[in-house]
Amino acid sequence: MNPPAIVLQALVHTYADGTPALRGVDLCAMPGEALAIVGANGAGKSTLLQHLNGLLMPSSGSVQIEGMALTRATLREVRRRVGYVFQDAEDQLFMPTVHDDVAFGPLNLGLAAAEGQARVQAALSAVGASALAARATHRLSGGEKRAVAIAGVLAMAPSILVLDEPSGGLDPAGRRRLIELLRGLTQTRVVATHDLALVLEVCPRVLVLHEGRVLADGATAELFADEDLLRRCALEPPLGGWARIAAAQQPR
Amino acid sequence: MSRLATTLQDLRALDALAARSTPLARRDARAKLLVTLCFVVTVLSFDRYRVAALLPLALFPTVLAAQAELPARTLWRTLWLACPFALMVGIANPLLDRAPMLVLAGVELSAGWVSFASIALRIALSVSAAVVLIGSTGMPALCAALAALGLPRVFTVQLLFLHRYLFVLVGEAQRLSTALDLRALSGRRVGLALHVSLLGQLLLRAFERARRVHQAMLARGFDAELRLADPQRWQQGDSLFMAGWCAYFVVVRYVDLPQAIGSFVTGLVQ
Repeated sequence: MNPPAIVLQALVHTYADGTPALRGVDLCAMPGEALAIVGANGAGKSTLLQHLNGLLMPSSGSVQIEGMALTRATLREVRRRVGYVFQDAEDQLFMPTVHDDVAFGPLNLGLAAAEGQARVQAALSAVGASALAARATHRLSGGEKRAVAIAGVLAMAPSILVLDEPSGGLDPAGRRRLIELLRGLTQTRVVATHDLALVLEVCPRVLVLHEGRVLADGATAELFADEDLLRRCALEPPLGGWARIAAAQQPR
Repeated sequence: MSRLATTLQDLRALDALAARSTPLARRDARAKLLVTLCFVVTVLSFDRYRVAALLPLALFPTVLAAQAELPARTLWRTLWLACPFALMVGIANPLLDRAPMLVLAGVELSAGWVSFASIALRIALSVSAAVVLIGSTGMPALCAALAALGLPRVFTVQLLFLHRYLFVLVGEAQRLSTALDLRALSGRRVGLALHVSLLGQLLLRAFERARRVHQAMLARGFDAELRLADPQRWQQGDSLFMAGWCAYFVVVRYVDLPQAIGSFVTGLVQ
């Protein structure tokens, strides 16, 4: 039997200036699961995500990725398995052209040129950005940048995909494409977002973070139906309100 | 458009130009780098009072810019940016070195003015060669070429980051400047205290952004090794390219071509 994709045990993170960001988070996500992490600003969502591929190391507690403990020694392997899409796509694009940027990850994995090329084409095609391959990264629109940033991560063929506010700054059409893309992926997906409508469509399970602690963990439609919980975490029901949540609760 | 925005656009334009497939872009980056180094060494090796003898060297950046299909506008703008530097280096010469040296069209020129012209010309030649090199190669390939030529990895990676973070710094400065313009009353000067505060903000914001860019690189397996999607291989054409230009530099260095051509034409006329 495959080990869980992600296991966090009593994860604590305190920043260098003494600010506590995570105060004992436990989480277990199974392979292929789509999980959302929601919470107010400062709840610890991005800090939690950054532990999943070792951009931050725990102050205490542990992180296991597919049965492998996150340590300095396993960092490279963990990063190969966990793809991270940053909140600001602009931070993620650093090569001059789209093709070079998407190829950056596969090249660092040491893939042969032909295989790397195939992965670049497949990743660009998956996000509908094949036509952008020769474009300069700084000339892309916000939605195109987001698509290319996701392609850059998909090209590394990670088994776990971590996305920080993926729908931020996207127009409705771009957001719809993103939702369809995320729904079509088979990898384990962890999405931190304020976009509860996206969560309803993509993630059957949601983890609610509040001041560095897990306030709730369960089925999305059920948790979103809890008005008090949403209010406590400074969240609002998605557009369409409770009716939409009720519809999501109906078996598909 | 603000001056900062224009600078950022120019910097990015060079990267975009380097990504095109042009006759010069297809040359191995090491060959272009070595030839450019030889060119700069040749330019710097001339006596400080020689101006006319330097002129044939302008052929190098001109031919390469044509091969790289670089717009003349890009080249001129970069040269314009280098102007203050040339002025700073050479402006004292006319004041300190007033000995008469030559008469040009009836005007007597001091040695200081001649050396100033020589410095300005040398800076213009070197800067244009560097711009052509970057505009036909791109910084990632250039850094990879430096590493392949034996420069320690720590320097090549620093250079790559310097280039990337330059965009970060200028981008942040542009955003701060726009925010200031939008809320500053028109025509009112902004105080020194505010400028100091802005500078502090700029550094903090640029640092934060640079940290995120670095994290994004680490998240995609960056281990300080430069790998290119399309690694070039040294070909016979690259050897010929190098040999041809180096031979030309040697000729220009040891034969005063303008004088030789002048003497030849004068002889023909007489």
